[in-house]
Amino acid sequence: MVDARLLDPSERAAEARHQRGALDLARRLPALLVAAREVAATVMHGVHGRKRAGVGETFWQFRPFVWGESTTRIDWRRSARDDRVYVREREWEAAHTVWVWMDRSPSMAYVSTLAMQPKVDRALVLGLAIADLLVRGGERVGMPGLTRALATRGIVERFAQVLIEDERRNGDTPAELPPAQALAPRTQAVLIGDFLSTPDDIRTTIHAMASRGALGHVVMIADPVEETFPFTGHTEFLDVDSSARLRVGEAESFRADYIARLAAHRDSMREACLSRGWSFAVHRTDRPAAQALLALRMRLEAGQGAA
Amino acid sequence: MFGLPLAFAAPMVLTALALLPALYLLLRITPPRPRQVAFPPLRLILDLPPREETPARTPWWLLLLRLAIAALVILAMAGPIWNPLPPGEGGRGPLLLIVDDGWPAAPTWSQRIQAASERAQTAGRDGRTTGLLVMSEGGRDVLLADAGKTLERLRALKPAPFIPDRLVALPALQKFLSANKEAEIVWLSDSLENSNGRAFAQSLRAAAGDNAIHALMQDKPALAIAGAENGAGALDVRVIRAKAEGPSQGLLRALDMKGVAIGDARFDLGAARDVKARFDLPMELRNEIARVEIVDEHSAGAVTLLDERWKRRRVGVVSGASADTSQPLLSPSYYLVRALTPFAEVREPRAGKADPILAMLDDGVSVLALADVGVITGPARDRLIKFVEEGGVLLRFAGTRLAASSDDLTPVRLRRGGRVLGGSLSWDTPKRLAPFERESPFYGLGISDEITVTRQVLAEPEAGLPAKTWAALADGTPLITAGRRGKGMIVLVHVTADTTWSNLPLSGLFVDLLRRTIAIASESGAGATAGDPANAAAQRIESVAPTRTLDGFGVLGAPPLSARPIPVNYAGGASADHPPGFYGPADALTAVNALTLDAQLNPVDLTGLKLMVDPLQKAEPLDLRPALVSLALALLIADALASLWLAGAFKRGWSRPAAVGALVLLLAGFAQMAPQPAQAQTAPAQTAPINPRDRDAALQTRLAYIVTGDGRVDEASQLGLSALSRALGARTSLAPGEPIGIDPARDELAFYPLIYWPIVADRPLPSAEAVTRISNYMKNGGTVLFDTRDALTARSGGESSPEQLWLRKLLANVDVPELEPVPRDHVLTKTFYLLDSFVGRTTIGQMWIEALPPEAERANRPVRSGDNVSPILITSNDLAGAWAVSRNGEPMYPLTPGTGRQREMALRAGVNIVIYTLTGNYKADQVHVRDLLERLAH
Repeated sequence: MVDARLLDPSERAAEARHQRGALDLARRLPALLVAAREVAATVMHGVHGRKRAGVGETFWQFRPFVWGESTTRIDWRRSARDDRVYVREREWEAAHTVWVWMDRSPSMAYVSTLAMQPKVDRALVLGLAIADLLVRGGERVGMPGLTRALATRGIVERFAQVLIEDERRNGDTPAELPPAQALAPRTQAVLIGDFLSTPDDIRTTIHAMASRGALGHVVMIADPVEETFPFTGHTEFLDVDSSARLRVGEAESFRADYIARLAAHRDSMREACLSRGWSFAVHRTDRPAAQALLALRMRLEAGQGAA
Repeated sequence: MFGLPLAFAAPMVLTALALLPALYLLLRITPPRPRQVAFPPLRLILDLPPREETPARTPWWLLLLRLAIAALVILAMAGPIWNPLPPGEGGRGPLLLIVDDGWPAAPTWSQRIQAASERAQTAGRDGRTTGLLVMSEGGRDVLLADAGKTLERLRALKPAPFIPDRLVALPALQKFLSANKEAEIVWLSDSLENSNGRAFAQSLRAAAGDNAIHALMQDKPALAIAGAENGAGALDVRVIRAKAEGPSQGLLRALDMKGVAIGDARFDLGAARDVKARFDLPMELRNEIARVEIVDEHSAGAVTLLDERWKRRRVGVVSGASADTSQPLLSPSYYLVRALTPFAEVREPRAGKADPILAMLDDGVSVLALADVGVITGPARDRLIKFVEEGGVLLRFAGTRLAASSDDLTPVRLRRGGRVLGGSLSWDTPKRLAPFERESPFYGLGISDEITVTRQVLAEPEAGLPAKTWAALADGTPLITAGRRGKGMIVLVHVTADTTWSNLPLSGLFVDLLRRTIAIASESGAGATAGDPANAAAQRIESVAPTRTLDGFGVLGAPPLSARPIPVNYAGGASADHPPGFYGPADALTAVNALTLDAQLNPVDLTGLKLMVDPLQKAEPLDLRPALVSLALALLIADALASLWLAGAFKRGWSRPAAVGALVLLLAGFAQMAPQPAQAQTAPAQTAPINPRDRDAALQTRLAYIVTGDGRVDEASQLGLSALSRALGARTSLAPGEPIGIDPARDELAFYPLIYWPIVADRPLPSAEAVTRISNYMKNGGTVLFDTRDALTARSGGESSPEQLWLRKLLANVDVPELEPVPRDHVLTKTFYLLDSFVGRTTIGQMWIEALPPEAERANRPVRSGDNVSPILITSNDLAGAWAVSRNGEPMYPLTPGTGRQREMALRAGVNIVIYTLTGNYKADQVHVRDLLERLAH
């Protein structure tokens, strides 16, 4: 029979352990960082040029010096070849801002025997990996409500530290949904979580975030048990976030209902996403993380193209 | 109940069993706790209506388990008893308990008392009083008492160590029964006819009228020991029983006076009523036995006590010859021991005992046989004279040592030297024995013609000689003489106890002679010897008081007040006045046993007396409560485990090994409840620490010399023996260690094959103790090489030199064999080198050695040897001085006359001596190699 369990608070809260020592990035998060790096390495994200001169690092063209320009821009090596004076222009490379939000609520700390990883681990791996990927692609990445958009190379470590800080400050009951604040236009949001809140809340949040035209991608992490409901017999179900419990005489009779409810829930979520042009995907923890990361990256690319 | 021997203390509780169906229903609708599963998306279905809420039923097996627990608890509360006691017969009058309390009742005593107590309690519950008639208390009147008093009396009862006479109790019984017509009678019988079982039963029947009489018989007949006999080869113990039923096998245990187990013997009665068990033990051990008992049969009858009468006479055998255990046939004591063993307990001194004669006397022998012991001096002589005068018998055998010495511990005066018959220097042929005179104690013994005497010591002819002669040769010379001294006697056999002088020790006559001699020893004169103090005590006193007596259970203890002294030579069994036990003073105990040798145990015959015969106890009542409660507890634990399992507790958190471990711990906890047998601790054996010097000496063969205290002599000894050791290492296969200087008074001598003793005349003589040790060393196979170093100063035939006098004084107290100058064909001259003489710094001195036995007829052998290594060598040539070389290899001392090969010849002499001490007569055999090879070739 399938068995599932909740992680202990100490297991779930990567950060709780970090409270004990500054260098104590010991147990899960470092492993997650490595995993995130590894996953990110498989999915390369190129810097996307603007096909015109501007602020950037790549050579674009030499053009004649115009009177009145700053002389520091003159490329003396090129200018020495003939009588004219040239200015080296670089291609304009503009960075996007992507907001990554990872759900760390108690319901995420859940793993069944069928899953490869707890949901929270998978969410962290995915979120950190996409952040790493984006930063290496030249984008700026931030966590809503926690950091501003950053483009530092050690973005993964930075995020990890911030997460630890957050846990330390706010305890181990993070919110189930991202802060419902409008994001700036031309930014993108990546929301990773199990989204088991009521559909209305989710819809409100998404609409609020997208109110200024930001695009977003929602990845719903699900444990296989949550999709298949493989329980039988006399069972008492316990809720994770609340103290609600449900005693069921024969669990198997609930399967069909549950699956229908779940489908409805996802439909409403998808509808809420699509109505704002956001993408919606479901990722199960019995699948490799790279799969979800690749899909996410492609959708991000598409989102950029749309922008 | 239900035909089963089952009863309940509180049967009403059983009605609670009716509640079980209710419990069944209750359990059925309260299922075990469901499996709990955390489920994050629960919110999605939280509002679903309960579809089929009828829970899974409690599994049938869990239901059964719980019902079983409940049923067990109810049953346990009802107090079930297996094999309950029969309820009281409910007589109207008082209860009369008649208790047989002789020793046959002892093995079942607790059951007996319990049965009696239960009867008394039952009667007490019915409000009846109880009278108690105890057989051993005889004619005391029976008094009625309530249950409490009776119980108290019963608990205080102990079985008597004898079988009381039942008829004594009859008057009191009849009196009681005539006063209490309706009494219920219970007779706790020991089932034996002994002491009038049937007569008593008949009288009881007559006195009781028509009242019921319950006779409680013990079903397992008591085992008893009826006497023991210390035979020639073993101690025979007779085990008897009344009926040929019950367990027939058992174990007898023999213990000594201190209660230490000496041996065990099995017995198997089979279908018989008596059997003889046999303790096949050495005689020494058998004589130690003071008590034989049947193991686990706790009664006075199962114990028999042995006193001096069961002991075999002790004969000490001391030989003057050197001990050589590898050649027993050469030792006189061998023949003596073999001849004495069938009828006496033979004691021999242990090897290395300081003074064997004293040791033997200390051992308490009644006859002391001295085989060829020449001189007896010092305290040994005084003790020996005292021993004989107090009634001991001294049996001496002649030999070379006796022939050479003068001694007054002989019945007749002896001529020195004796005579040799049939030797090469004698005209006479070996003599035969004359028939025994009528006055001789040996009269009647047959004489074989094969017995010849080739050599003997001669008695000085004197007035009383014929009267003292017990046996004589055909020519009238006395062969065995005896004389009284004090209460005791000295017997002298004029030949050796081995076969060198006569073949008498090989004949059967020898055994008979010894047997008669020792029989005389115990009968004659005072009739008592020092070794038999019981009889000596019997001479003076008429009766002996009890010292320690057996109680009914067969345990020795202080005698009861009622115990009376027994007359001397009391032969009967135990009685009330004379309980079994030891009587008399501690050194002359007389044993009285519960059963005499011919005793029988017979079952009582109660047919035709209308007695209700019941076994003493059918079976032990068994309270089933603890068993039921523990079973319920175990099931409860199983139920808890099952419930946990159903709730999924073992799915996580509890790994399988942990669960198994917990279970094992639980079981171990149960196992701990069983009582642990006490474990005896054995104390580690104590051994004395070994002197490192002795250890080194034991690990490597090395030469030794006696430290005289004269620095120059000791240095010469050390250097000389070093040089000799080196020569031995270089020339022979012997590689001796560095020589060592020893002090005979202090050091253990046993490790050294040869001790070199240079004589320094002005040193004090060694202490008597040291001389004894030297003497012992020589007796036990060591060789001492005395070197007087006086060849130049001493003159043969002239005055003795101071060294010679010193040596003579030293050896005065040592048993020295006959000596002779080393013959030319002595094996000593051929052990390694072929030597003519044994030279040292001087050449003119003579080497003396133990005299070889007279030459055999076929004297064509090139070499002769004794049967052992000579314990003593005496030279005057200063051997060590000739051997000694300084550190840089130069000779230390000049030689006289100092011709070229003298030093080499001295070394060769030393090599020969050492090899002789190590190999003995082996070279004497080697010289036959050529003959042997020739014979083999044919």
